[in-house]
Formats: sequence, C-alpha cells, structure tokens
Amino acid sequence: MRALKERLFEFLFPTESDAWLSILRVGLGFQITLYSLSLRNDWNHLFAGADSGLVNRDLAEALLSIESRFAPRLGWLATLGAHVGLREETVLSILWICLLVAGCGLIAGIFSRTSAILAWFLHLCAAKSGGFVSYGVDNFMTIGLFYLMLSPLPDRYALDWQLRKSQPEDSPLLGFWRRVLQLHLCATYFFSGLTKCLGSGWWDGSNVWRALIRPPFNVIDPEMLVRWKYLFPVAGVFICLLEIGYPFFIWSDKTRKIWLICICAMHAGIGFMMGMYLFALIMIILNVAAFGPGLVRLQRESTSLRPQEAVA
Amino acid sequence: MRQKNVCAAWFSLHLLLIISFSLRDTLWLVAHGQTIFPSSFRNYSQKAEGIASAVLCQRLAASNPVRQVLATYLHVAGIETGYGYFAPNVPGSYKLVFELHYPDGRIEYELPRVNSSAAGLRVAGLLDKIGRTPYDALRELLVKMLAQSIWRQHPEVKTIRAVFGSTRLPSLSEFERGKRESYDFLYAYDFSLREKPAEPEAVK
Repeated sequence: MRALKERLFEFLFPTESDAWLSILRVGLGFQITLYSLSLRNDWNHLFAGADSGLVNRDLAEALLSIESRFAPRLGWLATLGAHVGLREETVLSILWICLLVAGCGLIAGIFSRTSAILAWFLHLCAAKSGGFVSYGVDNFMTIGLFYLMLSPLPDRYALDWQLRKSQPEDSPLLGFWRRVLQLHLCATYFFSGLTKCLGSGWWDGSNVWRALIRPPFNVIDPEMLVRWKYLFPVAGVFICLLEIGYPFFIWSDKTRKIWLICICAMHAGIGFMMGMYLFALIMIILNVAAFGPGLVRLQRESTSLRPQEAVA
Repeated sequence: MRQKNVCAAWFSLHLLLIISFSLRDTLWLVAHGQTIFPSSFRNYSQKAEGIASAVLCQRLAASNPVRQVLATYLHVAGIETGYGYFAPNVPGSYKLVFELHYPDGRIEYELPRVNSSAAGLRVAGLLDKIGRTPYDALRELLVKMLAQSIWRQHPEVKTIRAVFGSTRLPSLSEFERGKRESYDFLYAYDFSLREKPAEPEAVK
C-alpha cells in the first residue's frame, strides 16, 4: 500500500522545469488579450443589464443564482460601482480595460499572480453574467486561468523574475499543476471522443459535413467542400480515434509527438475552417503547455548527447 | 509531505467531479436515445445517470448549502459541464428574424445585430439556447429581450413580429442534387410599443 502511494506521489509530483508554466502564462495572456479585443465593440452590448443589453444580464444572473448564489458575476461589480456613483456603462468599460491590462500583464509576466487572479475573476464574471452568450471557449479559458492562478508563479521567463527577483516555488508543485492540467485534458478528450463515437454521423462523415455547413460555421463555400466529400468519413473516424485515444497515446514518448501535432492540427483546422479562432487557440495553448515542453526538452537532450556520444 | 497529501486529496475530488459530470452527460445522451445504442440501454443509462446526479448532489434541493457550495466550486473551476461538443451528432441551428412594422405601413427585416464575428458566434449560441430550451416562458422572454434591443436601434417602429425558425441542413447527397439550406417555422411573437415595449403576444 505504501509502495503504491509512493508511486502515485511520484507520478503526481514529478520534478519539473517551469517551461510549461511560461507557455501557459504567455498563451493565456494572448488569449485574454484577443478575447478582450475581439469583443471591444460589443462588450457593453453583450453584458449590460436592463435597457441597454442584447439580453438583459440580470436574467442570466438570476438563473445563475438558482444554481449558485456565490459564483462571481458582473452584477456585483456594477452594484459596487453604483455605490461610488459610477454608471453601469462606465463600470463595464473599466472592467474591459482591466481585463485587457491583465492579459498584457500575463504576457509580460508583470505581477504574474495578480494578473492571473484578475484575469480569471473578470473573465469568470463575464462568462457567468453572459451565460446565454457564452460557449465552450469560456469553459476552457476558466479552466486554464483557474490552474494558472493556483500554479507557482512567477516562472523564470516572467518580468517579475527579472525585475523583482521573485523566485519560483519548488518544482514538485510545478510538476503537480502540470499533471492536473494533463489529466484534465485526458478526461476532456476521452469523453469528447466517447460521445462522438456514440453518434452514427461521425462514422460516415456526415457530421463533418454538417459541422462545416452549419451557420455560423459555414466559412468555406459548400460547393468547394463537395469536392472533398470522400475525405469526410476518414476525417470523422480520425477525429473520433484521435480524441478517444488521447489519454492512451499522449503519455508514451513514442506517440506523444504525433498525437500532440495531430490534436493541434485538428484544432487549427477547426479554427480556420469554422471561424472558431479563439476556441482553437485556447485548446492549442492548453495542449502545448501540458504536453509540449517535454518534447522540446527531449529533442534538445538528444541533440546535446550527440557530440558526447561521438567523443565516447 | 502534508502539502502533498492535501494536494493529492484535492485533486482526487476534482478529477472525480470532472469524470462524474462528463459521465452523467454521456449517460443522459444514451438515456434519451440520442446515440447508436439500442433502446434497451435506455433504462440502465437512466438509472446510472440518476446515480451520477446523486453523487454530484444534483438531487438535493437547489437551496441546499452543500449543493450551493459544490455548484460554486464547479463554476469557479470551469468544470460545471461535460465535453460533448458536436456530439453525438451535429445539431441544426436556429434563425431569428424581426419584421419591423413602421407607422407608415413600411415593413423592414432585421436580424439580431452585433459588430464582430466573435460576438456573432455568441449570438448564434444564444439562438441555439433559445431553440433548445424546454421552457416556453424563457424562450418568449429571451426573444422579447432581443426585440427590445432592436427597438432601441429603431425607436420609430410601431410593432415587431419576431419569427423563430430552425435551419434544415441538406445532407451531402441532397446538396449534390441541388437542395439547399431551408428553414422550418417554429414560433412567432408579436410585440407592440405602447409607452415601453409591451407584453408579447405569442403566436405558435
């Protein structure tokens, strides 16, 4: 039993460098920045309350309160702003600027922890208050930011490290948070693949066709897509196998590289062919942060070994 | 060592929640006959889904403190949903068209409008949620809110008719035979402006 626990702890707390954390921090910084910029003209319209929003934010918050009265929301901040005499519109604009600043802070690594917490909190407020207009990208951004703010920041590439001589915490915790992200992704892809396998449309390719012609994802002209019709069944089966096989093939040194490349290529394809750029970006960031650094390190090690082997 | 024990215990619970939610959503799909499994699987799946829901405290009263605390944690960690995107099959989409009636008898047509494609994806998601909600009152309220946003852009409009429909996508072979995307009428709502946008009159 003790041996089993030791093996489990060895797996959960490996000694790690902070390269993965740098990728996650910078990647999520870009994600938050692009998220903010992409919504700059619609921010107030999407998240305003009564009398000015697309959908009254109060309704989404009321429904959220049935599930959880304590989940963060923009209404809290709007109420706080009203106490100091700020109009809702002004509060929302300030929050948008704060989110953008937090994103830039993460990219540069300035006040890394504060930026991560601020980005997580503000994005979560927007995602929850805009529950009717949120989708998968918001879930994965919350997941990534949640793990980032709990991870031992700053990493060695952050400006905090350079300017303020902040030192990162011990590496077993770095390894632990990377494992958490890795295992979460494995669960995500496994269940995503499993539910796809349960639908007949992924096996005959009809779901690939439907996904590509379904508004608003119909970026490519269907007349052009028809020419590639023989690839749809192959693509459907490939996506199912890629996702359901993720937790089994991503751990092995032999298959990790190809699986990671294929998964990232799949997300890039979704991004370009369906216009879901932010969704594609967040998935690539999470995958590369979770499983990318080891590959680069392995390559460097094998490269650096060659001269020694030659000398030997 | 103590820190490691705490971390390991937290992660066990966290992973259990992730798996339970994903499993519950998958079982729900099987229980509702949306998968390739034969109908004999439905009863088992329904029972298993019930167990998963109970584990996740979803069978407790909404006001129960345990359920509230758990729900808050799920929301802040971003793990309150499963991961069945576009699964088991890709659903159709929905369309909402506003018919704007002006006092001079003129009629114009308008769609829910946003300024960017990123926001456009979100509006499409909103229409999906309106189309799929089983609650008529909620659907009507959401359409009314969208109509109000249109009214703010066109204050001179006298009445608005909101027509909500689903998109029927052609299969590949149908497309090759010349069939194109079509729309099925689902609901229509009439709104008239008195001092402020009035209660909707639903027409099905």
